Amino acid sequence: MPMKGRFPIRRTLQYLSQGDIIFKSSVKVMTVNYNTAGELSEGARKFVFFNIPQIQYKNPWVQIMLFRNMTPSPFLRFYLDSGEQVLVDVEDKTNKEITEHIKKILGKSKETLEKEEKERKKLSHPGTFGPKKYHLRECMCEIEGQVPCPAIVPLPKEMRGKYKTAMKNEA
Amino acid sequence: MSVPRGAVHAKWIVGKVIGTKMQKTAKVRVTRLVLDPYLLKFFNKRKTYFAHDPLQQCVVGDIVLLKALPERRSKHVKHELAEIVFKVGNVIDPITGKRCAGTRFLENLSDSENLTEADTTYLSEKLQELQVSSTDK
Repeated sequence: MPMKGRFPIRRTLQYLSQGDIIFKSSVKVMTVNYNTAGELSEGARKFVFFNIPQIQYKNPWVQIMLFRNMTPSPFLRFYLDSGEQVLVDVEDKTNKEITEHIKKILGKSKETLEKEEKERKKLSHPGTFGPKKYHLRECMCEIEGQVPCPAIVPLPKEMRGKYKTAMKNEA
Repeated sequence: MSVPRGAVHAKWIVGKVIGTKMQKTAKVRVTRLVLDPYLLKFFNKRKTYFAHDPLQQCVVGDIVLLKALPERRSKHVKHELAEIVFKVGNVIDPITGKRCAGTRFLENLSDSENLTEADTTYLSEKLQELQVSSTDK
């Protein structure tokens, strides 16, 4: 049974998480002005249709507003925390060019993202055991080469406490 | 816990003015895109904010930029008007700086009134060259 809609792939988590624009923390509001008709706005329309969901998914705290048919020329406007406004003219650009441009001027660079990833990894120690939410493994029985889980494979007689105490009492 | 600025989470907001009946206060509707968990589609979710507008220069329908105040002005007013982005009926295209309405400009775009003598002679020469090349073909 196929998904409903024109390009329903836009509504999949895999597509949304593929967005690679993560804004710097100073970007608060993004405004897109575009037109519903005309060749010059074609790139902007494709950008709104395909890329805005990805951007909003990756930046949930940035307010994104879309304005249709307000001005003849399409543009993007970013409002930063310092009060600065960045105006991006997107007339006659394809949506790929727009995303590249935005990534270059206002996106977090790969080094920053890697650094943040490292910081997050440092918080949790991979060698500890516990619930799957916070640790990698729950029990020693999950690791290959260790004693398998007694719930699945019964332990040999010599390892069971019942047998051990019986042997001790006998001796 | 001291908060240096903004008693509220949203520091800068863009919204549309929906009411100006209060004195020196504008009622602003702000829309954010929220992901529906089942459909995985973004929908606009609206929220109203009250903004302090000391000069009462907002009209219903303006698009405004609000800035968070350092501390709350009253029970509901936590923002103030930073600038009017688009004034209703008087939208100015930020790229050209001219007035526009919808997808057409209200002012004449060409600057033929400000051309000097040298410019007009240069342009007429260029036009003549073009005509010559077309007759050659």
